[in-house]
Amino acid sequence: MKIKFKIWRQEGPEDKGAIKEYTVNDLTEEMSFLEALDHLNEQLVLKNEEVIAFEHDCREGICGQCGVFINGRAHGPINNITTCQLHMRSFNDGDTIFVEPWRAKSFPVIKDLIVDRSAFDRIIEHGAFISTNTGSAPEANALPIPKAVAESAMDAASCIGCGACVATCKNSSAALFTSAKINHLNNLPQGKAEEHKRVEEMTAQMDIEGFGSCTFTGACEVECPENISIVNIAEMHARLMKAKILG
Amino acid sequence: MHLKFIRKLILALSGLFLCLFLIVHLSANCLLIFPEATARVLYNTYSTTLRESTFIKVISYFLYASIILHVWYALLTTISNRKSKPQKYVVNRTNENSTWSSQNMGLIGILILLFIVVHLANFWARIKLGLGEEVLLDKHGNKDVYEVTYSLFQNFYFVIFYSLLAFPLGLHLHHGLKSAFKTLGFYHKKGLELLAKVSLIYALIISVGFGLIPIIVYFK
Repeated sequence: MKIKFKIWRQEGPEDKGAIKEYTVNDLTEEMSFLEALDHLNEQLVLKNEEVIAFEHDCREGICGQCGVFINGRAHGPINNITTCQLHMRSFNDGDTIFVEPWRAKSFPVIKDLIVDRSAFDRIIEHGAFISTNTGSAPEANALPIPKAVAESAMDAASCIGCGACVATCKNSSAALFTSAKINHLNNLPQGKAEEHKRVEEMTAQMDIEGFGSCTFTGACEVECPENISIVNIAEMHARLMKAKILG
Repeated sequence: MHLKFIRKLILALSGLFLCLFLIVHLSANCLLIFPEATARVLYNTYSTTLRESTFIKVISYFLYASIILHVWYALLTTISNRKSKPQKYVVNRTNENSTWSSQNMGLIGILILLFIVVHLANFWARIKLGLGEEVLLDKHGNKDVYEVTYSLFQNFYFVIFYSLLAFPLGLHLHHGLKSAFKTLGFYHKKGLELLAKVSLIYALIISVGFGLIPIIVYFK
């Protein structure tokens, strides 16, 4: 299949950057989207041109490394998948595909389609862990956790930190990511000891990093590869208010 | 600390208060659909009662404060949110993952603010501030607010203006009502599903109600 790519090229953080056009003629429907980009890069190498920089690692939807804005959607036209889970069969022969990096003040472009997501790491550093060393795994039945609680903690824990929520949000809000990390631990007995400190410090860091406020457009939960529900954000708000009141 | 969240809390609380106010306002407007003689007596008695009540006076200050706070903090939030996304996408298909109204609450809000300014100039300024044409008394000695309303809605352009702007109001309320609860930390999943339906019904009743009454009065 023949695809016309319109891809964001940017030398480095200081460069202005621009959309550049590439036409690839010999793609197949079976190729993943990232393989199509690999294929394009191979052609660029043969032409002695600079290859397109993009992030990827596991290529099976679990690591959260890949992530680009494809035709106006985070991770492409299909809901709740990562970029590496997108295949060329989702497009038609002759299509034009726009590929842009995540856009957010807190995610500065490093090069081409790669952005710096270390703002997420700094949010994590502000409490998305349990600070006591608990030694080896305890006996499983010593600490009973109701099924529903375990499920909701696991649902929140499945966030892979890809940044699609921030990318698609018109306010570049990191509320979905931060709330997932907070609720994951605050729902479990192990996380309870530090619950107030955790929610206060992580949400404060979210503001310091320059992410915007959540206005509940709901775009994030449609693009999230892990189906993290927006209800997590409401829960984070409840936890933050509780922490403020109880100290 | 948490300045952005506190702003959102104020937006949610003032918004919810305005949602309550709209129910009372629309209920009163329904008096206008009665036959002329009845409507005049009912509407004028109602508005006189409101003007003379100390309780309503206190509520009215809450109302002014809510409108001002809602506009001011919406402005601050919008400015700071725009700063968080300095560079826009060349292609962005927001219609595929969210509603148009949720993406454009600011724009819709400006339309509603424009409406509020005109609406206050039409009624509040004349009746409460005594600006413009004098409001006459009806035969019971009450200010003839019914006449103010009736004469305004004999003007075709005002009918169009009032009816059309009920539409953005509906869009704003549909997104705003359910979101206010989420901002305030209501996170019961089933409850939120129900709330989404309640928001839709509420927005429909309010916008259709406010949109139809000027047309009904025009053809009276």
